[in-house]
Amino acid sequence: MENGGEATKWRFGAANPALEAAGRQSIRSIVSGLFDSLDKSDPRPVAPLGHGDPSAFACFRTAPAAEDAIATAALSGKHNCYSRAAGVEEARSAVAAHLSRELPYDVTAGDVVITAGCNHAIEIMMAVLAAPGANVLLPRPGYPLYESRAALCGLEFRHFDLLPDKAWEVDLDGVEALADENTVAMVIVNPNNPCGCVYSYHHLAKIAETARKLGILVISDEVYDHCAFGSKPFVPMGVFGEIAPVVTMGGISKRWMVPGWRLGWIVATDPCGVLREKKVIQSVIDYRAISVDPVTFVQGALPQIIANTDKAFFENAMDVMRKTAEICYQKLMDIECITCPHKPDGSMFVMVKLDLSSLDGIHDDVDFCSKLAREESVVICPGIGLGMKDWLRITFAVDPSLLEDGLERVKSFCKRHGKTKEVN
Amino acid sequence: MHDRHGRTHTESKYSLARSAPHLALMENGGEAAKWRFGAANPALEAAGRHNIRSLVHDLYDCLDRTDSRSVVPLGHGDPSVFACFRTAAAAEEAVVATALSGKHNNYARAAGVEEARSAVAEYLSRDLPYEVTADDVVITAGCNHAIEVMMAVLAAPGANVLLPRPGFPMYESRAALCGLEFRHFDLLPDKGWEVDLHGVEAVADESTVAMVIVNPNNPCGCVYSYDHLAKIAETARKLGILVISDEVYDHCVFGSKPFVPMGVFGAIAPVVTMGGISKRWMVPGWRLGWIAATDPNGILRDKKIIESAIGYRAISVDPATFIQGALPQIIANTEQTFFENAMNVLREAAEICYQKLKEIECVTCPHKPEGSMFVMVKLDLSCLDGIHDDVDFCSKVASEESVLICPGSGLGMKDWLRITFAVDPPLLEDGLERVKSFCKRHGKPRR
Repeated sequence: MENGGEATKWRFGAANPALEAAGRQSIRSIVSGLFDSLDKSDPRPVAPLGHGDPSAFACFRTAPAAEDAIATAALSGKHNCYSRAAGVEEARSAVAAHLSRELPYDVTAGDVVITAGCNHAIEIMMAVLAAPGANVLLPRPGYPLYESRAALCGLEFRHFDLLPDKAWEVDLDGVEALADENTVAMVIVNPNNPCGCVYSYHHLAKIAETARKLGILVISDEVYDHCAFGSKPFVPMGVFGEIAPVVTMGGISKRWMVPGWRLGWIVATDPCGVLREKKVIQSVIDYRAISVDPVTFVQGALPQIIANTDKAFFENAMDVMRKTAEICYQKLMDIECITCPHKPDGSMFVMVKLDLSSLDGIHDDVDFCSKLAREESVVICPGIGLGMKDWLRITFAVDPSLLEDGLERVKSFCKRHGKTKEVN
Repeated sequence: MHDRHGRTHTESKYSLARSAPHLALMENGGEAAKWRFGAANPALEAAGRHNIRSLVHDLYDCLDRTDSRSVVPLGHGDPSVFACFRTAAAAEEAVVATALSGKHNNYARAAGVEEARSAVAEYLSRDLPYEVTADDVVITAGCNHAIEVMMAVLAAPGANVLLPRPGFPMYESRAALCGLEFRHFDLLPDKGWEVDLHGVEAVADESTVAMVIVNPNNPCGCVYSYDHLAKIAETARKLGILVISDEVYDHCVFGSKPFVPMGVFGAIAPVVTMGGISKRWMVPGWRLGWIAATDPNGILRDKKIIESAIGYRAISVDPATFIQGALPQIIANTEQTFFENAMNVLREAAEICYQKLKEIECVTCPHKPEGSMFVMVKLDLSCLDGIHDDVDFCSKVASEESVLICPGSGLGMKDWLRITFAVDPPLLEDGLERVKSFCKRHGKPRR
């Protein structure tokens, strides 16, 4: 039968267009493409300022209590089994208690669905909302996994702006202009990736009022919950759950610095029970039943992870983050072709504008980032991947001296590529 | 509803009004807000209909809580809760070591941690006549995730895939969710549950892209012979389609037939091999699996199948990084004796199951299980009174005897039952004894 007379005509291989559309947005592909253009012969350490993952740095190591909790759960033999679709009961209860501490009402275990990270929560919510003809409103700049997963399930998305001149607040007039009778939800990310801002109580209240006026739910992506180190405190959107139904998404990836553990949640923070009536949580559980499960022993460890991690761990982590955000901001101010409209006070990122007119031979943000990677072994994320061409997203959740070194290299790159000043 | 201070809904709204008067005006003003979300996603509804987890879960709801006897869970395959099936200590140690190392708390790359990919490539190459390389491997969060990925990758407009019946309904769910048409071919109970290859040829057309086989087989408990797998490969070649070989139960064989990986025939038709550690290591909760191109002619690569799988993984869930990091040690440090012991217990349990089923008159087992963790048996409703189908049988067995069995309707075979024997042997024996007395009690009286 081996390669007989005619070659076999294989019928598979045509692309899934939805998957192609979805893949185009992938931040992971953009950043890994940049890693691939690094000069391997450069002896300097790579400064990975393009994606948010501080777990590799000793100064951001997770709490020993969290690691111990995982080890205990893994060795117990009690969590090697499949878990239920909504998640391990103790994990659901632990998340409910954890969130309730900051809300004016109680969230119960029944309101919680455990997911394999907050990325998984995004996947699920886009699928649940993908009714024929529906649309969702997404922030720009944003986190492109929303667009990818919406594209994959045929859910239309429209963008509203975050306003750089107003500390990246949501353009609420823009939201109202964009929405129509098929709009089902708007997404906010607070503390914000990519902008590094933290929304005020007041602004969140206005977002809730707008959502109520439009009859839509708010998906509040709080994966960076409590990652606020400036003057503004973190306020959970669920505080306004009576005004408009809020789906709160979160996880342990950022606060505990363990994105590789893949543990997140979707929670109905909705004291009026509208999400329950509309069967949103039930649909979430139905999707989870045919989707990936989070690792059972990580779920099993969650109550101890939450209970046994000292406040001191979080305080220290925020101290380091505050320091690195300051280093980042100061060094950026030193670079002429870069403008930072808002000093970061939360999450792990800052968005900065590139002034191409002061650079020679660099035609856009993608070109800037490719050349920077190759010439200086510094990886930065081009803003076009997030909806803002000629902007850059920089992470400061990096070991302070490596961050300083990396930004110094960016500065010399910009000098080297600067347009020569004309002498009149 | 009371808030956390014990205040009623109205009272807490009033306090919100006091602290933020401008908001109070918005509260249930004149008209109630008209909420625009909540319409169903029809693809999700279609997918949910094939949901085996809910099927078995609903049976748990039928249990009589006042029954003091232990629940006997013969409805789904998860032996990890039983001491006799505890995973290898070496595997647990490997996972704890990576969890505590601090080196694997990060995001992994889309195709998976490099050392894990290499370890799987080496593991699969052991049983193949050619080498699989790390680039041929994509790590997934369990074999269920591998199914999700492959269905998405193949969902080109107008394409269809061929699925076995009885089968594993996650295939139908995920195909439905991404709008990929599926058609069924039969597994033949009178022929050791072999694939009905004439049926495959009859049901395929020019839009068919792949066929799925599960070997060792869930739900039937059979193991396909070298000859039969070769014929499957020839059929796939004739039709110009690829074979997805679901080998999550790889090496779970305890009868006379050895496990033969479908990749052995990868030169005849391209084979996508899916697998994982869930079954062989008894750790379904760890969520670690793989998709591998076992295709020495490189057709899958030319057609960008693995590239698409990686593209999907880039926007999908990652397996936990530290479990990927532990995989090389899990594979390297687990001794043969662990697997031999596990197969000995499974062999014993399969024997108990088969013998006890022979004692039950209304149940016929066409093929003694020799692999995986399941067996399919036919229910003869004509010798039962007041039981109208397999779902009814399973509901009543759950509520009257605290025994859970999966109704065959969920797997495409009405009035059949799927029973797992990957259960602590004494509990299995007890459970099947209860099924026997249930059948006696509900038997039609003899004239």
